[in-house]
Amino acid sequence: MNGQKSAEERAQARAPEMELIREAQAGSRVAFDSLVRQYEQQVLRLALHLTGSEHDAEDIYQEAFLKAYRYIGNFRFECSFYTWIYRIVTNLCLDQLRRRKTRREDHAVVLNHSGDEIDLLASVSDDRSFSNPAKELDRKVLGERIETALEKLTPRERMVFELKHYQGLRLRTIGEMLSTTEETAKNTLFRATKKLRTQLAGLR
Amino acid sequence: MNCEVAHERIVTAAYGELADEQMHELDRHMTSCPECPREREQLLALKVLMDAHPVVEPDANLVARSRLRLEEALDALPPLRWFERLGQRITNSFASLQAAPVAACLLLVVGLGTGSLGGYRLAENRAVRITAARGAVQPAAASMAGNAAPAEIANISSIVQQPNSHMVEVHYNQLVPQQIEGSLDDPSIRQLLMLASQNSASAGVRDDSVGLLAAECKAGHGCKAEGIRDALMVALRYDKNSGVREKALQGLEPYVTEDVRVRDAVLEALLYDGDPKIRTAAINILEPVQGDTSVRQVLNSVANSDRSPYIRTVSRQVLDRVPEIQ
Repeated sequence: MNGQKSAEERAQARAPEMELIREAQAGSRVAFDSLVRQYEQQVLRLALHLTGSEHDAEDIYQEAFLKAYRYIGNFRFECSFYTWIYRIVTNLCLDQLRRRKTRREDHAVVLNHSGDEIDLLASVSDDRSFSNPAKELDRKVLGERIETALEKLTPRERMVFELKHYQGLRLRTIGEMLSTTEETAKNTLFRATKKLRTQLAGLR
Repeated sequence: MNCEVAHERIVTAAYGELADEQMHELDRHMTSCPECPREREQLLALKVLMDAHPVVEPDANLVARSRLRLEEALDALPPLRWFERLGQRITNSFASLQAAPVAACLLLVVGLGTGSLGGYRLAENRAVRITAARGAVQPAAASMAGNAAPAEIANISSIVQQPNSHMVEVHYNQLVPQQIEGSLDDPSIRQLLMLASQNSASAGVRDDSVGLLAAECKAGHGCKAEGIRDALMVALRYDKNSGVREKALQGLEPYVTEDVRVRDAVLEALLYDGDPKIRTAAINILEPVQGDTSVRQVLNSVANSDRSPYIRTVSRQVLDRVPEIQ
């Protein structure tokens, strides 16, 4: 009963958006601009975090919304517009990550770190217990290490981890966005966490 | 549950996606396994660690810059042309159909059903028509085309009288060549003979048919029907073959006294027929009615102007005999 009610509420909440989509499909630029404003923050946030570059994020934003504008006529309300636009963005990000991965030389991560760092990262390893890293490491250095570890993932693992860990999406939605199943997304997430632990443990 | 499965479930549970039942199983496993609780701690540590690389909100300048760039790009885009819009609509419609396979199947089944029913009905009607047509043709053939209308007969191909017999074979064509056999007294045979006397392209067929009709009339075998007489008069007046005309004239002989129309036809033959033999025969046939005014006028005309001296002479002789006869 509650589920039914919440579904109705969701549908009601989505009604204005659906109207905007229909208008945009009919060729209304104003309606499309409204949709852009509704999702641009999320698109930029995802692209920025994944690519780590404002320039790349801007390019992805541009390309994603141009694609959306060109193909909005093909949107058939089978999924939410949010999922649809995210699917476009994740595909573009995946392309960007793949391009970057082939360009970049595979370099070993060697960082100057203090004993504190060793303690922290050791806690993340397979053998040691965890202690709070925020108090013991410089956040910038830690951020760089994490970014390096993330770059070691395959584009798909990176994307699943990004969407799950940082964007907080459901595995089912992630599966939809990446045109795969929830189970595959779950397995990919597991592999990603395993690799990250190995990468970060190896810094000792 | 083994540790490998437990490790996977620890990840799923850490992100809040493990079903309650599986969560209970995992908890049970954790109480008995010394390794897996450590695995969970390490994963939670990773989660906290990864938060050290937080998601930052995009800078307002970046948003404004991106929006401006997009608007410029959208302004530069040419509007969709009508066929592109049409293509999109078609693609959407097709995709909708794909998304509703049941509807597509139903549509297919209904289409096939309608088509089959229509085809069945069509075939049924056609079969009824064919049967009716056969039914109409077969009795006609069995009873020697008793009801065959002239319009159904394309032409008469040949006529054969059996030697020393009253029987005659008439070969005629309808949609397919057919033949019937019957007595000369048979109305169907007579109808065909009359048709042959007028329509056949073959002089031989006309000659046969007119000859037979004439013979019947001369023999007094029920030639009172005006149709036969008319056919003979037409043959006498218009047939190109003199043999046919001669036979027609012979067939008309018995009626020259009783039927004025026959008499007129014979007089016309006397005046205008190109064959002297026929004109001579006409004079002889008119003998019983030579006293008739119209006959005398024609005989006078022929006696004065006929191309053949013999006919002129014969005409004069007949005219000379007329007062004596009267």
